[in-house]
Amino acid sequence: MTQRIVDHPILGSIEEKEQVSFTFNEKEYYGMNGEPIAAALLANGVRTLRHHEEKATPRGIYCNIGHCFECRVTVDGKQGVRSCLTPLQEGMVIESGGTLPTPVKDWSAKNE
Amino acid sequence: MTEDMIICRCEEVTYKELAETANKYNCSARELKLRTRAGMGYCGGRTCRNMVDKLAADLTDERQTQITLKYQPPIRPIHFGDLGGGQS
Amino acid sequence: MNNVIIIGAGPAGMSAAIACAQKGLDVVVIDEYLKAGGRLLGQLYEQPDGSWWNGIEESARLHQQALDLGVQIQLNTPVNNIEHHDGQWTIYTEHETLSTNHLLLATGAAESPIPVPGWTLPGVMSVGAAQVMTNVHRVKPGERGVIIGVNVLSSAIAMELKLAGIDVACMALPKMSQLTDQQAHPKHVLDSLLHVSHMAPSQFVKLGSKLMKNDFMKKLGVTFYPKRGVNMWDIPIQLRKAVIEIYGEKQVEGVTVATIDSNGEIVAGTEENVEADFVCIAGGLYPLAELAALTGCPFYLIEELGGYIPLHNERMETPLDGLYVAGNITGIEGAKVAAAQGTTAGLTIAKQAGFEGLDGEIEEAIQVVEETRDQSYIQFHPEVNKGREMVKEKWEEYVLPLRSI
Ligand SMILES: Cc1cc2nc3c(=O)[nH]c(=O)nc-3n(C[C@H](O)[C@H](O)[C@H](O)COP(=O)(O)OP(=O)(O)OC[C@H]3O[C@@H](n4cnc5c(N)ncnc54)[C@H](O)[C@@H]3O)c2cc1C
Ligand code: FES
Repeated sequence: MTQRIVDHPILGSIEEKEQVSFTFNEKEYYGMNGEPIAAALLANGVRTLRHHEEKATPRGIYCNIGHCFECRVTVDGKQGVRSCLTPLQEGMVIESGGTLPTPVKDWSAKNE
Repeated sequence: MTEDMIICRCEEVTYKELAETANKYNCSARELKLRTRAGMGYCGGRTCRNMVDKLAADLTDERQTQITLKYQPPIRPIHFGDLGGGQS
Repeated sequence: MNNVIIIGAGPAGMSAAIACAQKGLDVVVIDEYLKAGGRLLGQLYEQPDGSWWNGIEESARLHQQALDLGVQIQLNTPVNNIEHHDGQWTIYTEHETLSTNHLLLATGAAESPIPVPGWTLPGVMSVGAAQVMTNVHRVKPGERGVIIGVNVLSSAIAMELKLAGIDVACMALPKMSQLTDQQAHPKHVLDSLLHVSHMAPSQFVKLGSKLMKNDFMKKLGVTFYPKRGVNMWDIPIQLRKAVIEIYGEKQVEGVTVATIDSNGEIVAGTEENVEADFVCIAGGLYPLAELAALTGCPFYLIEELGGYIPLHNERMETPLDGLYVAGNITGIEGAKVAAAQGTTAGLTIAKQAGFEGLDGEIEEAIQVVEETRDQSYIQFHPEVNKGREMVKEKWEEYVLPLRSI
């Protein structure tokens, strides 16, 4: 299980933040208010955020800064949310996701 | 093993698929993408674009030449709920 | 209508915002990330004078300074598209549509991947992802990691992982393929490693920088490079081993490495497994210029600067009216150079917005960019100056015919 880095020789102690509860795929977890959803899940030992829509291979974060969309999940019913840059809030209902919102290719095909 | 290696993570397109398509059709980067869907997925090619370009047949020496980079808007996928949401 | 809109709250965008606001302009900064600071946030290294460059503190300082000057900062706001009509720029964000006469793109850089069999398994991430998880969010990317790709950035981040108490089993090269270029070539990697020798308290690398001045010596160096690797900060750096596969059932369980010869070719029968629960891929950085591409701005492929570069001059103007660029979108360099470019862009925008008498300040700001570049601690490309010269030449070529009309 991965852990939080509570003390750091240069950066000092971890910033105290309010603890919040949330669910991921119907299981309850705790995380820090305002931290990225992906960080909260990783701190709970959860690496797999979704499965590939066609091939069903497991996926987790890749870039961690919003570029690759590998970390996308459904948050309170909104699909395609990047968990690496979406702040965690109390009571969030997070799911690995079902069908896709309009991917870039369909969108641009329709608009060309 | 290397053959089955995934290049485009979004659409799970393998090295083999790309190399074979590039050889068979002797295609440009754009054609290679359209044929295999590599780089056309959710991330808009941010991760694999350069690799797919490298495998395409038409990559001559672009150095020193002025080009326009081809990108399609939107560069981030738009959610249904957000469409038409211009409220400025 | 806003006076100035800046996309990207990294060191370039924030420094530009501060410079504009100091001249009294109304500034809006838009960024999709949840904190201001961009990629500066994750940076942490010891400077030659012994002080620490702490990206979190530097970011907080820039953020506060901008807020104090009345800059509006909209975080968690992705920009999807920009358009130019009748001298005005329209910016489409996920939440609203904005417009301005002066638009600065400071969208920074992205990481290039190195494909490796098994690299879609959870636990495999870019090396920058591990940096941000560790230093910014303070969550360990794992207990024991392997880093694929040996370069300036991955060497710095390996040390940062160690600092946070995370075990790095080894750093090794990717297996050579049509897609790996020189990153899989021991001699090339050794060559580029010599540029980080000042960061490495390793006898080998120190010795190396003295000995390895010529090609022949470098070849010898690689040939005699110990198969077990050389330790830097207690991390074995293996230039004679390549990762041929990442394995694991549902997530990373380890990597298979094999010995390579001095040309990067695998020596058959040398495969062995290294256990790990996370793997970092370090393929280098390239300018994230997708928004600039949408405008039709001319681009040039300049390898010394990391990829396709939107044409710009030293004042950070592009050939398009009211469109400016600053920071890593103009070429891969450290955060201090990005910030200095941002200040230059901010002053240029203020001038174009009608403030008079700024020419001297702009000239000085350009000087500061060059000095900062020359004093850089981390140099992503040893020939960055050559790359910058090429951009200048291209700009001259581009504007010359326009001038003679
Ligand atoms: C993963 C990574 C790690 C790095 N580590 C180091 C390091 O250790 N040391 C070092 O010297 N340099 C490092 N760099 C180089 C780094 O790019 C520079 O040091 C510096 O941060 C560049 O500043 P910038 O302002 O140009 O861009 P950035 O700091 O990258 O800031 C750009 C900002 O623009 C935002 N953005 C981009 N596109 C959009 C959009 N469409 N909509 C809204 N917002 C957008 C991003 O969210 C980001 O916050 C790293 C770069 C990366 C990518
Ligand atoms: S991990 Fe790449 S977008 Fe979140």
